[in-house]
This record gives sequence, structure tokens and C-alpha cells, in this order.
Amino acid sequence: MTNDNKTILLVDDDIDFITAQKLQLERAGFKVVMAESQKKAEETLMTLRPDLAIVDLMLEYKDSGFALCHHIKKKDPTIPVILVTGVTSDTGLEFDAATQEERSWVKANAMLIKPVRFEQLLWEIEQLLQ
Amino acid sequence: MNVNIEVNGKMIQAKSGETVLTALRRAAIQVPTLCYMEDLLPTGACRMCVVEVEGQRNLVPSCAYPVADGMKIQTHSPRVIRARKTVVELLLANHPDDCLYCVRNRNCELQKLAESLGVRERRYTGEKSEHKIDSSSPSIVRDPAKCILCGRCVRVCEEVQGVSAIDFTKRGSKTIVGPAFNEGLNVSSCINCGQCVMVCPTGALREQSYLKEVINALKDPNKYVVVQHAPAVSVTLAEEFGLKPGTDVCGTMTAALRSLGFKRVFDTSFTADLTIMEEASELVHRIKNGGKLPMFTSCSPGWVKFVEEFYPDMLEHVSSCKSPQQMMGAIIKSYFAQKEGIEPGKIFSVSIMPCTAKKFECQRPEMLDNGIPDVDAVLTTRELARILRMRGIELGALTPEGADTPFGERSTAGKLFGATGGVMEAALRTAHFMITGQEMDSMKIQALRGLGGTKISHVKVGPLELGVAVVSGLLNARKLLDDIRAGRKDIHFIEVMTCPGGCIAGGGQPLGTNLDAVRSRMQALYKIDREEPLRTSHTNKWIERLYKEFLGEPLGHKSHELLHTHYVKREAVI
Repeated sequence: MTNDNKTILLVDDDIDFITAQKLQLERAGFKVVMAESQKKAEETLMTLRPDLAIVDLMLEYKDSGFALCHHIKKKDPTIPVILVTGVTSDTGLEFDAATQEERSWVKANAMLIKPVRFEQLLWEIEQLLQ
Repeated sequence: MNVNIEVNGKMIQAKSGETVLTALRRAAIQVPTLCYMEDLLPTGACRMCVVEVEGQRNLVPSCAYPVADGMKIQTHSPRVIRARKTVVELLLANHPDDCLYCVRNRNCELQKLAESLGVRERRYTGEKSEHKIDSSSPSIVRDPAKCILCGRCVRVCEEVQGVSAIDFTKRGSKTIVGPAFNEGLNVSSCINCGQCVMVCPTGALREQSYLKEVINALKDPNKYVVVQHAPAVSVTLAEEFGLKPGTDVCGTMTAALRSLGFKRVFDTSFTADLTIMEEASELVHRIKNGGKLPMFTSCSPGWVKFVEEFYPDMLEHVSSCKSPQQMMGAIIKSYFAQKEGIEPGKIFSVSIMPCTAKKFECQRPEMLDNGIPDVDAVLTTRELARILRMRGIELGALTPEGADTPFGERSTAGKLFGATGGVMEAALRTAHFMITGQEMDSMKIQALRGLGGTKISHVKVGPLELGVAVVSGLLNARKLLDDIRAGRKDIHFIEVMTCPGGCIAGGGQPLGTNLDAVRSRMQALYKIDREEPLRTSHTNKWIERLYKEFLGEPLGHKSHELLHTHYVKREAVI
């Protein structure tokens, strides 16, 4: 499998969600490191450079995901980041990472709205790992 | 038997057993409706069509009330108008006040009713809906706050498409329309066809728009942005600009797309021809080698998802051909890129489709080649009209232009893909040639034309008699599939289009479509087929050239790599 040895950092406070995603990502050949908070993720990033990060927006704070994306990109701008969020259905706020301008402040390469189908996530991952 | 009824003091004739509304409509008496849907049983839920019938204590819903001889009806008495106005005022009580920002502004049935009934002040103030937008689906956005619970989407999903992805949930004032457990459409059994969007009177259901991505790509100097347009788009776009249904604007649309900044404009009808070459070869191969029959077409992505979800045991029957959109995407990023010396990753491939399910299709993992998607963004006919208006491009002011090479010419068979029965007709023309080495005596197969939901015929192809079926609207497909499961054996090839009528009535087409408009669009495609000389896919010189220079032969190695795929059973989460 071409995904061998690619490491993905998976950050979400919904343990059920990341456990399910982890199993599916591992089946697709990735190595997966989980973190259930921004703090844990930052700690992991001290010692690990993932090939890609999947970040939930609302963690300890409502905007933790933004901060984490920012920190990941500051540390290494080449790490692709996918922001996964249910913020539209939770708060009604709508935003996107569709254009260069939006990506410049969101600091994510792609955004997916929850609920996410795994095949959709895999599609984004494969595109970004090009 | 006819009966006489008196409407607003005038006698009109009605047929015994029909509803008051049907009689009124025939007599050109306008009564507003909201929940009413032609050809489906009335629910009488919205009370917008109420009329006053002499001798009845209450107002009656004309959509659900049968006529009777000597009946005296008032359609616009002060009492009736007051009732209708109150219904609208109550609907507006909890409706978001964001008309100016709404995608349906100036094209909203609720807005039109409020305007025509003279609603000018807020008499009732309700608690605003707390429901938030569901934008998880790649095709359809659901905004329950704007929903007025007319139930048209629920009915079309269940009674026309046989999918039932959405329904009424919860009770009383908490009622909303949505998938089970109010989950996202993304994980529901929704097949993304967009028929719900077509019937929604407000902005509660709309397409997921990718205009932002396309506009962004067009201004990016590092991107080479190309576009393809589906066969059905050129005969419907005109309606968005006030021209009459069935006007073909292929040439001016091509010119408009160029002035938007697309570097190349390709016609998807060309890859419809390519699909026919592959699909007809596949059919011939299956017949000669005892493959799975009947074979189903695979151009309609809603239908493909439908089989994956509801009939996974029949997936082997589905043709392995990608749809024309995906074939075009695949050869743009391979053959075209190679020919022009452009890196495939730099090409941003847009397609203009009459369809919302195409947005889902282009994001399927099967449609990704080495991490590069065949098609990057899909716009509907409506979105194209929106961007043209945004840029101030007047279709009428442009001089018609031709499509770009190397996919320059299409046959009329490819163009017929836009209407139900078209794929079948095109495929039979080529399959006939492949089997007998001769062209069909008559290209037109009348039995497969028209707007019928299920059309079955037997066609003589040389020594063989092929049983063919053309189905549109997935409830019709469900019935046929059940027959086949039960052992029906006389059919060998089945064309299925998700939307009733085919792509000309697709979920991405202009809103407010009626059956007459669909008929005119269909006639426009038939006219093209009648009047142009190149009528078969296999005689298209550009297709021959593509095989010679790049693909080799139909069903060959390269074709398999680029133009075919396979589908697997899909579990809808709910």
C-alpha cells in the first residue's frame, strides 16, 4: 500500500469519532496518532512530525482548532491540515476553506463538514498527500 | 361524465370525479397552492388552495375536494383571501428575515404569495427556528429554518424516487423535515438527485455551490481552467435568461464560457459518444460471452448510488463505464494534458451539469487518479446562470462559437443523452453497427422516445432480438428491478435516468419547471438529432482519432484504466 509509513495526527474530543476514524485510516494503511485535545496535540507535535493532520474545530475552547491549525502551520507549513467541524450545524456560522484568502486565515488546506463519510475524508487525504 | 359547476358566477364544465382544483386550472382560474403536486395524490395540508363552497360551513381545500353537479364556488371571496393571507402570515411568523441574502430571493413561492396577497406588516411574531444548516452533503444544503413543512420534498423522495431519505420528524411545532435522527444528509440514504430542491418552494433546500472554488481558480494564474458542459444544459440555460423553453444556446453558451475566462470549452456530448463506444462494446461483449444480463447504464450518479444502497446484489449488472462527465475529466487530465504539455495537477477541470448528484460523483474516491481528481468542481445550470449574471454577460449579445479541439465534434447520438431514452437510442445505433457491420435502417426508435416513466421494447439487431427498457424516476426503476429479481428474463439492456424525464429535468436545472417546458427541451434535442448529419457515435472522426492516438480500442487496457470503474455495496449510515 502506498499509504504505508504515512502518519496522520487525528485530533478530536469526540473519542467515538476518532476511534472509528482511526480504525478506518489504519485499514487504509496509515499510521494514526490520536489526541483528544489541543493541549495533547501540541505535546505530541513536540516529538512528532505527522504527514497530515485532521483537526476538529471545537475542542477545549470553541476556537481551539483554529489555534492548533495555526500552530501546526507555524511549525511546518508543509504539513497539510484538514479541519473537520460541525460548527455550521452547532452554531449556524458558515465558513469555508475553498479559496486562497480563506485558507490564509483558516490555516487549513481543506475543510469538511460533519457528519463526514470516510470515503470523503480519504479523498481529501489522498489529494493532499500528493 | 361531465358536470356543471358555477365558479365566481360563471358556469364551467368539470369531469365527474376530478378535484375542484383540476377543474379550476383547466378553466384558467388561478388558485394558489403550496403543498399540491401534479400527478400525486393531494394531501390538503397547507390550506392555501381553499375555496368557498355554497352550503359548506368551512372553507374547503380545492386540491382534495371532488366536484359535484351544481356546486357553487367562490375562489376569491374576501373570506377566502383572508384565510390564505393568514396562512402566509403564520408561515412567515417564524421564517428567517434574510430574503435579500437568500438564494431563492425573487424566485421564492412564499415570497410571491406574500406579495400577491398583500402581506405588508408582521401580524404574528413566532419564536424563530433554532435549526441550523446541514451543509455536510457535497450536493445539497438543507436549511430547516426556512422550511415551511409543505412536504413536497418528502413526497418526491418517496413517491417519485423511492428513496425516502427524508421525512417529517418530531411533532407539533417541533416538526422538521430531515433524515432519520436529524443526522446530516451526507450519511443518509440520499442519492443527491436534487429533485427535492426542484420542488422546494423556499430556500430550505438548495444545491451545494462550488462557485467560489471556480471563481478562485479562474483568477489563479497557476491554474489552467477548462470547462465541459453536459448535453442537457444548452437547451435549458436559455430559460434562466427569459428565453422560451427549448431554445438551444450551445454556441452562445460556449462564447459566454470563454468570456468568463475558461481556457478551453469542451462539450460533454463528445464523451457521451465515447461512453457509447465503451458501453456498446461492453454490451456486445456480455452478449457474446455470456456476461451478466440485463446490463444497466451507469451515466446517472444518483442511480448508481441507489443500486449500491438498495440493490447491491445487482451491482454486477451495472455497466463498468464511468459517466460522460468523468470520462471527459479523465481524458482531459491524461490525453489533453499530454498533448498540450500541461502538468495534470495544474489543470482545474470544471463541469456544468444539469445535476446535483454529479457534485457527489466527482468526489467519489473511484474518480481519483493518483490523488488527482478527474473533475475538480461541478456547477449546475442554475449556478452557471448566476455567474453569468454576476459578470454581466448577456447570452443574447454574444456571437455563437464552436467547442474546442481535440474533443471538438459530437454526434447527435451524444446530444440525445440529455433526455430519457437517449442513451439507449445512441447505444443501439452503435451496437447494431458492431454486431451487424451495418447502420440501422431507421435511426429513430419511436418506442423509446417521450416522457413515459417506463418504456419497454424489443429491437431487432441482426440475428438477435434485444429486449430493451428505458426507465426514469427511480420508483419506476425499483419496480423493474424487483421484476428482474423475481426472474423476468426478456430484457437485456436497461437505461436508467434518476430524474423523471432524464437530465433535461435534472435537479440542477432552472427552478419552476413545468412539464411543458421539459417537453420543449426534449423536442429541442430531437430536433438537433433530426437536422444534423452526424448521428452515430462510432462515425465521429474525433472519437476514431482519440482511439487511434491514445486509447487503442474500446475495452482495451488504457480504456479500462481511465474510462471504467467498479462499484461496491454501500451502507447508508442511516
